[in-house]
Amino acid sequence: MVAAGVNPRAQRRVRLNAVALSVFWGVIAIGAFLLLAKSTQNSGEFARLQMWIVVLNAGAALVLTVLVARKIWRLVRDYRAHVPGSRLTARTVGIFGALVIAPLLIVYLSSLEFLNRGIDSWFTVEVKQGLNDAVVLSRAALDLRMREYSQRTQALARDLAAASPAAVQARLDAERRAGDALEVSLFGARGRIVAASLENPLEALPAQPPPDLVRQVAQHLPYVSLEPQAGGRYLIRTGAPIAESAASRDPRFVVAIYPVPEQLAALSEAVQGIYSQYGNLAAMRGPLKYSFSLTLTLVLLLAMLAAIYGAIFSAQRLVRPVQDLIEGTRAVGKGDFATRLRLPSRDEMGFLVHSFNDMTKRLRRARAEAQSSQEAVERERERLAIILARLSTGVLAIDRHMTVRMANEAAGAILGTELASATGRPLPELAAGNERLGQFVGALAVRFAAGREEWREQIDLDGTAGRRTLMCACTPLPGEDRELGFVIVFDDITTLLAAQRDAAWGEVARRLAHEIKNPLTPIQLSAERLRRRLLSGMSEQDAEILERGTRTIVQQVETMQQMVNAFSEYARAPEMLVTRFSLNQLVTEVADLYRSQAPRTRIRLDLDPRLEGIEADRGRVRQILNNLITNALEALEGIPQPGLEIATRLDSTGESEYASVTVSDNGPGFPRELLGRVFDPYVTSKPKGTGLGLAIVKKIVEEHGGRIDADNRPEGGARVRVVLPVIDSTRGAGARERRDQLRRERA
Amino acid sequence: MLRGDPARDGLIGRGLLATLCVLALATAAGRAHADALDGALAVRSAYVNIDHGVFLLHARVEYPQGPAIRNALREGITLDFDLEVRIERERHLWFNANIVELTLPRQLSYHAVSDRYVVRDVRSGDQDTFATLDEALEYLGKVDAWPVLVEPQLNGGNYTISVRAGVRRGELPASLRALMFWTNDWARQSEWYTWSLPV
Repeated sequence: MVAAGVNPRAQRRVRLNAVALSVFWGVIAIGAFLLLAKSTQNSGEFARLQMWIVVLNAGAALVLTVLVARKIWRLVRDYRAHVPGSRLTARTVGIFGALVIAPLLIVYLSSLEFLNRGIDSWFTVEVKQGLNDAVVLSRAALDLRMREYSQRTQALARDLAAASPAAVQARLDAERRAGDALEVSLFGARGRIVAASLENPLEALPAQPPPDLVRQVAQHLPYVSLEPQAGGRYLIRTGAPIAESAASRDPRFVVAIYPVPEQLAALSEAVQGIYSQYGNLAAMRGPLKYSFSLTLTLVLLLAMLAAIYGAIFSAQRLVRPVQDLIEGTRAVGKGDFATRLRLPSRDEMGFLVHSFNDMTKRLRRARAEAQSSQEAVERERERLAIILARLSTGVLAIDRHMTVRMANEAAGAILGTELASATGRPLPELAAGNERLGQFVGALAVRFAAGREEWREQIDLDGTAGRRTLMCACTPLPGEDRELGFVIVFDDITTLLAAQRDAAWGEVARRLAHEIKNPLTPIQLSAERLRRRLLSGMSEQDAEILERGTRTIVQQVETMQQMVNAFSEYARAPEMLVTRFSLNQLVTEVADLYRSQAPRTRIRLDLDPRLEGIEADRGRVRQILNNLITNALEALEGIPQPGLEIATRLDSTGESEYASVTVSDNGPGFPRELLGRVFDPYVTSKPKGTGLGLAIVKKIVEEHGGRIDADNRPEGGARVRVVLPVIDSTRGAGARERRDQLRRERA
Repeated sequence: MLRGDPARDGLIGRGLLATLCVLALATAAGRAHADALDGALAVRSAYVNIDHGVFLLHARVEYPQGPAIRNALREGITLDFDLEVRIERERHLWFNANIVELTLPRQLSYHAVSDRYVVRDVRSGDQDTFATLDEALEYLGKVDAWPVLVEPQLNGGNYTISVRAGVRRGELPASLRALMFWTNDWARQSEWYTWSLPV
């Protein structure tokens, strides 16, 4: 069963493709999600995964692009090639694509605008200025403290320059307490601690001065710095060089560390925190917008590609049943009723496909029935054709214009022309040059012209080969259409009629022989007795009258005797004495005999040397030759240069061999009206003939299983041809039967 | 509609080409903006010494300097300075086994109120302040006696130690980190500085 659109391998492939694609996109989606989750948790991880994210996204986009491009290329190719369903697919894809892409573009553009404006609004000039102002304010507040502590430290340095070494520690302690410092230290050359005052001297050592402090005080400049500490604390570190004294040339400097009050420190730290946070965010403004735009663009691109792919995929799925239907319809149009479509679903399309399958099923069944009917008709027709061909009856179908519609071989054989292959040709055209067919057509035309459509009549056709008698029956062909024409059935009953005539003449001959021959002898004897008894006692005159009368009686009785003998001979069916003899020799003997009897006539022999001998009754064959030659010689009487030709031939028909003897003369020939009946008894054109010569010849020939025909030569004169089987067993059973029957009847 | 329309075919072709270009540009975008941290970034020297069974790492790293970094810091940006160390045991016919993977994470920021540069150790929370950026970077570039391994972690065989320095923008909100995918112009890493561990 052919099933359009139902290729199981293709279906499996499509299903596998769909599963593979689903798995692929599922893995991509999960992978992307995991990467995103991982990267947002740990920025270090993000840096490591960055390349993978890029590769994954680019790969996905590339695969999608290739898939979409492939689909679109195929769609365009199918569209150009007018593949069924491609226009519908293209239109559906266009509509789906427009429906999806238009809102996507709108969302994309408005999102982009919103993002740009939104991000810009985060970073206004006013905010930045406000933050800067806050920083300046904080600095100003702290600067006061720093200046104050710096001045105290410088004052301390001046005091220490003038103080004795013993008073240094006390001075440092006094200053630490007075200024609430964390520590106040005096350093010597190379950072050596000379003296120090700490809140908890047992817990810690004085902090080492930072390098920039050392550098600055070395240049005899005071130093002050604000140092943010962990936990949001602030320290103010001050340094001041101590003027060199005469007593000590060792360069010294004092360093004090003051804590910033907690409230002020907290406020400053808050300002610093916001400043730093804003700075970090502001620095991201450009990249943020750029990233958002690119991300959105990529998402849009992927969404559009996915939408187009989905649209094409859905459209093709939607159109596939329609394509199947189109292909199925084409297949049905081409005569393939075995087409069955796969049921796509149970919806309206499914119903349509089901109806289609139902229709093809019915068509298939109907075609099978029609085919079987046609085969039956064909078989019947063939049977009829065989019957018609084997029929000896001629069957001829013609239309109303006498154009041949059908004819069997027998029709052609009877009418003397090839009719079986003349279908479609008009009969009058075929009749040109064929006298017998011409007469037949004429007879038909006369009857059709008279409006006779159904008739049964005997038609005589005269021709050079003799008269033929046909029994014709004409019937209009049945049917609604009057133009169908007629069927004419005809039989050549010439032979039948001849046989009937032969039989009748045989009967006549037997009766003549029986009824007339018997009284003839008493009549003759009585006449002779009358003559003998009365002649002597009568006068000369009476005697002459009696003499003449009795002689006439005797002569007429003898004539009648001869006639009765001839009839008897005709009716006789003696036992055949079949021997093998040379026909040529027999012909030569008989011809020599007649040459001497009729020296005026030139008798010419044309003997076939191949004819060595035949099996037949020699005496009866001699009688055939005698009768034929006698008949010819009688016909040649009065002809200026009488000529007679006897020809023998050996003919082969299949496995049987026949000897033919043709006797031709240059006499007047057979009268045309007698041509068909020359072998009938009492048919003669001669005033003296009994009319039994040729009839007897025909009888003997038929007893031998041969045949005889007579016609006129084109150059003038009669011609009789006798055909006899060379081997006696070749003779038909019919001939033997007939001979036996005659013998029985005589008995 | 589509049949025999060269202009439309061209449009489709150009559309596909444009799509591919956008993809290529997008993937290259990160690289295109990577010149914000111009300058040398390399581990100049590094070695380990063993003190009472503890492997102490000493390294000198040169970080990029320049007005771009200075300006960015003064605008309030925080930079992360990570020093990564990796110790692997060599294996034949297979990947090396990872023994130790440590990171020394520190942050550099500008303290606007005090006008000083602050270097903070992310793990301990300790911080140092510097009057100049150069001093701060110099401080960051010197790593001394960082304990990276103890002897019991070694189990025979050959070991390699690799050191790598990296600079990147820090202090990003987590939700924005993924979005900065395209413009990661504040992230650079040096090549690995690798040598065999003296066992």
